Amino acid sequence: MTRVLVVAWQRFLGAGLGGYNVALCGGIHTGFQRLQEQMENTESVAPEVTANQSKSDFRLFPPVPGQGSSLTWSGKKYEDIPIAHIKATYNNTHIQVVSAENLPFARTSCGTEGFRNAKKATAIAAQTAGIAAAAKACRKGVSHVRVVVKGLGPGRMSAIKGLTMGGLEVISITDDTPIPHNGCRPRKARRL
Amino acid sequence: MSHHLKFIARTVMVQNGNVDAAYRTLSRILTVDGIIEDAKRRRYYEKPCRKRQRETYEMCRRIYNTEMARKIAFLMRKNRQDPWLGC
Repeated sequence: MTRVLVVAWQRFLGAGLGGYNVALCGGIHTGFQRLQEQMENTESVAPEVTANQSKSDFRLFPPVPGQGSSLTWSGKKYEDIPIAHIKATYNNTHIQVVSAENLPFARTSCGTEGFRNAKKATAIAAQTAGIAAAAKACRKGVSHVRVVVKGLGPGRMSAIKGLTMGGLEVISITDDTPIPHNGCRPRKARRL
Repeated sequence: MSHHLKFIARTVMVQNGNVDAAYRTLSRILTVDGIIEDAKRRRYYEKPCRKRQRETYEMCRRIYNTEMARKIAFLMRKNRQDPWLGC
């Protein structure tokens, strides 16, 4: 059964299909432990230079402030590292780099980068916004950043790519897409 | 999400600067948990009648797919080494 899971997981990573392979494998319960074992099995063992830790000690999930963990990034603990908020709407992408105490470092969006109207809703625009935000943040002395993504827009992935291309090092990715528990009623369905 | 603790749920650490793999892992987790399709569905309002139709359709599809998978798994038992070697 584990072999089936590992094969399915590899096919997942390789082909990049949707959730179908996993759904067919009898409804795997991707519990934390199993996912972690899979990550440690399939990923090649590489030396962990940045996190000052031994090789096979990578935890997929972030260190909780309560329980002591010795992971540091340039001397800072996980909860003191600046945060890059990325709001990826369907028409635009906003990026704001903030310190751990909510002091702003850099704020860019596709509009501030000179794109107009429909061109703001593209992946390339989000990437340029990411590069600009990373450049501004690096000038203020930021090196590592935790990324928080909000929304399912075209710039979701490419904004993170832009941040890494601009010179910031991303250490974790969080998804903060607002999921209402049946709160406000959204607008009516479009009839095309 | 301001009522919950931050950086605990829906968070993935990046290993060796491999942001692509981490993003893919996060997307897989979210898809399997049904969060991505839920967010897409909530973009526009889905009337109760449409919602009921969709639920029955998905249930029928799930039943059909599982039964077909069972049938294929059963029939594939025939696909084995020939013990009598063509006698």
